Amino acid sequence: MMKEDNFGTKEAVSLATLAIITKVFYTSPFVIVNSLGTAAWYGTLVSCIVSLLVFLLLYQLMKRFPGDDLQAVFMKVLGKVLGRIVTVLFSVYLLYYAGMNLREFLEIIKAYILPYTPPSYIMITFLSVVALFAFLGLEVLARFSYLGLWIVLITMGLLLTFGSTYYNANYIKPYLGYGIDKTIIYGVLRSAAYQEFILLAFIMGSLQGLKNFKRAGIGSILLSGGVISISLLLYLMMFQYTVGSENLSGLFQISRSIYLSRFFQRVEAIFLFIWVISSVVTVAIAFYISISIYCKALNIGDHRPLILPFSFLTFLVAFFPKNLTETVEFHMLFIRQYSSFVVYGIPVLVLVLSLILGRKRVESRNEKV
Amino acid sequence: MVMILKKSKNGFWTLLSLITYKKKDKPEEFYIPEVNEGESRQVSQEKNNDKSTPSTNEKQNTQKDNKGLKKPIPVSELKKEKTESGVKKDENCISCSIDENIDFINRMFNAPVNKDIVVREFNIAGHYKAFITYLSGMADKITISNFILKPLLAKKSVEDAEEDCKLDYILKNVIETHQAKKITSPNEVIYEILNGNTCIYADGCNFYISAETVGFDKRGVDKPQTEGIVSGSQEGFNETLRTNITLVRKIIRNNNLVTEFLTVGERNKNLCSILYIKGLANPAVVQEVKRRINGIKTDFMLGDGMMEQFIEDNTFSIVPTILSTERPDRTASHIMEGRVAILVDGAPFAKIVPVTSHSLFHTPEETYLRWQYGTFIRLIRFLAVALAALLPGLYIGLVGYHREMIPTDLMIAIVKAKENVPFPTLLEILLMEVSFELIREAGIRIPGIIGNTIGIIGALILGQAAVQANIVSPVLIIIIAVTGLGSFAIPNYNLAFGVRIVRFLFILAAAALGYYGITLAFIAIAALILSMKSFGVPFVSHLGPQVRQSHDAILRWPVWKQEYRPDPVNPLDVRRQPKISRKWTAKDPKTGIDRERNNDDEGR
Repeated sequence: MMKEDNFGTKEAVSLATLAIITKVFYTSPFVIVNSLGTAAWYGTLVSCIVSLLVFLLLYQLMKRFPGDDLQAVFMKVLGKVLGRIVTVLFSVYLLYYAGMNLREFLEIIKAYILPYTPPSYIMITFLSVVALFAFLGLEVLARFSYLGLWIVLITMGLLLTFGSTYYNANYIKPYLGYGIDKTIIYGVLRSAAYQEFILLAFIMGSLQGLKNFKRAGIGSILLSGGVISISLLLYLMMFQYTVGSENLSGLFQISRSIYLSRFFQRVEAIFLFIWVISSVVTVAIAFYISISIYCKALNIGDHRPLILPFSFLTFLVAFFPKNLTETVEFHMLFIRQYSSFVVYGIPVLVLVLSLILGRKRVESRNEKV
Repeated sequence: MVMILKKSKNGFWTLLSLITYKKKDKPEEFYIPEVNEGESRQVSQEKNNDKSTPSTNEKQNTQKDNKGLKKPIPVSELKKEKTESGVKKDENCISCSIDENIDFINRMFNAPVNKDIVVREFNIAGHYKAFITYLSGMADKITISNFILKPLLAKKSVEDAEEDCKLDYILKNVIETHQAKKITSPNEVIYEILNGNTCIYADGCNFYISAETVGFDKRGVDKPQTEGIVSGSQEGFNETLRTNITLVRKIIRNNNLVTEFLTVGERNKNLCSILYIKGLANPAVVQEVKRRINGIKTDFMLGDGMMEQFIEDNTFSIVPTILSTERPDRTASHIMEGRVAILVDGAPFAKIVPVTSHSLFHTPEETYLRWQYGTFIRLIRFLAVALAALLPGLYIGLVGYHREMIPTDLMIAIVKAKENVPFPTLLEILLMEVSFELIREAGIRIPGIIGNTIGIIGALILGQAAVQANIVSPVLIIIIAVTGLGSFAIPNYNLAFGVRIVRFLFILAAAALGYYGITLAFIAIAALILSMKSFGVPFVSHLGPQVRQSHDAILRWPVWKQEYRPDPVNPLDVRRQPKISRKWTAKDPKTGIDRERNNDDEGR
């Protein structure tokens, strides 16, 4: 079977955090602001708390099967056939997730940076790097994400600081947005925006124990919640909720608005680096785990021969939406809002089933369930 | 009349030969005959296995039938062969007959065709037949004459000897060289002669004595050519292994500094040594180094560069994973950190393993300087690498894809400068980059002072002429010049090569996709570098797995703060110095009374 290398908690936190916060660079801010108005910045904290609760449930499930990946837990609780079907379902979902994220990235790049470049050209080069990560393995991806998170956070900090000349605290009034009830309901529904922590459960073997898994999960959710909330707050303070619900990419618009002097202006191209780094890591981790769990479900020893076919499939999936509107209003809406029923629902259901059936890992000589 | 006819006939033929075609005699051309590779290999293998029994080989060959099957050799013939040859086939030991041994040496060194081998026969003390043998030019003749031959030829030299074989007595009492040892294997005899030592043999003995007489010409210790510094030691390695080891040992006066010798190269049998401190270097690293060097199967090992390629982890990487240095002080400091140094005879460089990425940015300069200056020059070097790799690419991306970033005044200046230039920016950059690389390569190859001059003059004239001819814009000349300066500031020669290659990749990426392309190229290169290892140590170790924070990686902390050795190397003793290394700060300068113990340790 596949052997995945180990890495530490810091790398795991970076991996999950980078995957979660990537959406703040794209269409996510305007969708949230459009729905929650001035309450967007703390509405995301509701999603963050709900995700934290789901993670604790997931932790309870993983605790019953120490040392097992989520796909192995599926097999042990649901049986081999159903377990495999659910695992493959997750693999397909992750492939879809990777493809759609790639498409969203493409739309933003096309709109702001490379309007005349053919989409396939942009996507093939992007997927080449993603495939390289899949080829080099999870450890390299995790270590790169640790480097990438520092670059992204520092650059984001600079970006938001440079934009401070336009901030107006009155723009976040009224504080309750469209009403606290709407904020909470939408926040709960939007909790799927933090779903990437689930990926950690699929790479349990690399995390060296439940303790690290718990630390990585909680750390990444809280860190991401903080970063996304601050970004939305400053975005609202700059553009107010009316204009804020019209910008395609919130942070990109901030970077475009930076004016420090006559010489230092229109510097959005510099910040392109963090856009690309975070997108590559997000797509790469989803892509890698999609292949990895597919291989594990079907007992395929080496994942490398599948990199090329899966790359092709991701490329195809990215071409599903006809245009940007369809990407945002259907596919991304499903991924960031309604996919929680699948992504959160299945593990919770498996936990309930394992409690009902009384299934858990028994530490014995042969490691039997 | 006959004469006239003959003359006229000859004249006729002479005239005829002037106006007719005459086929020239074709001289025989030289060509290298084809060799049946299979057979030649077999023959050479047989020669290597049993060089002393050519007659046996011939017989074996004749015994082969047409299908290539070997026929068994009769036992009687085998016995005969053993007694006939100087060295017994299976036992591989030395014969007791002087004639057979002379024959053996002559055969091994292809004498008398080969003129370098000297076999000098004489009688020890006028009684016992003996000979010495050495390679002319490799051995010091004065040492041989004064300290080997003179004592052996003296009448009283072996009078007191009681044994049948006088060599034991000679070894202990007569030979006057610093090193002399007993040799019982024929292969070792050959190896000692090849190294410049003199082998002595006396009739009736089944061993030789090897006396140290190495005396070939060598270069003296000089300044390092590629790692010059302002402050600190000015000594560099030379091509002699012994000298290089001494230069290191001179710095590390430690009895646990171990030097192990290994031989590499089946035909040239080059000597290499590994240096480490026993009890400090991780034994696993030492073992791995020896395993890799012993695992090299090649006929020729020229020097450290070839060795590096044989033992490195990532052979396709453009970044080196083994540190190369020609400075004994740098080698010593790495050995003191628990690393292993590899020196190869004939090369003025040491290879250090395992290393991490930041080692390639370090020089001994900052060790000698105060930490503030050391940190500053190190940061300049990181900037230099970034400029050398990225600047042309960033310029192409800027003018090709992200023009909105350029302030209007600057944009006007760039456009004005480029107005008369017919080429696209990519072509301009490539033209200048290739020219620059040519100047650099020419500067290195042209000998002596002209080489340095042509670099500067060539660049100035070429740049000026290119601008005046409207082939490139002046802005671009500045970009290329700064890039060149950046690449010269890279302290590691191999890394500088890598950066030069990567620069072209970034140029192409920027031309194709602007900053998006540069970022993708950066990510791909970073991923490849992150996946690399140097003798089991992750090459970029400060990005995980989690290690103790280094105080000498990117920033250089004060020397008294550097309490630990580098963690990724896993040395057996991690602590370099105690928490308070400047003990004098804890003492009163006048009275010598201890201050209060609960004082803050910071700043000591």
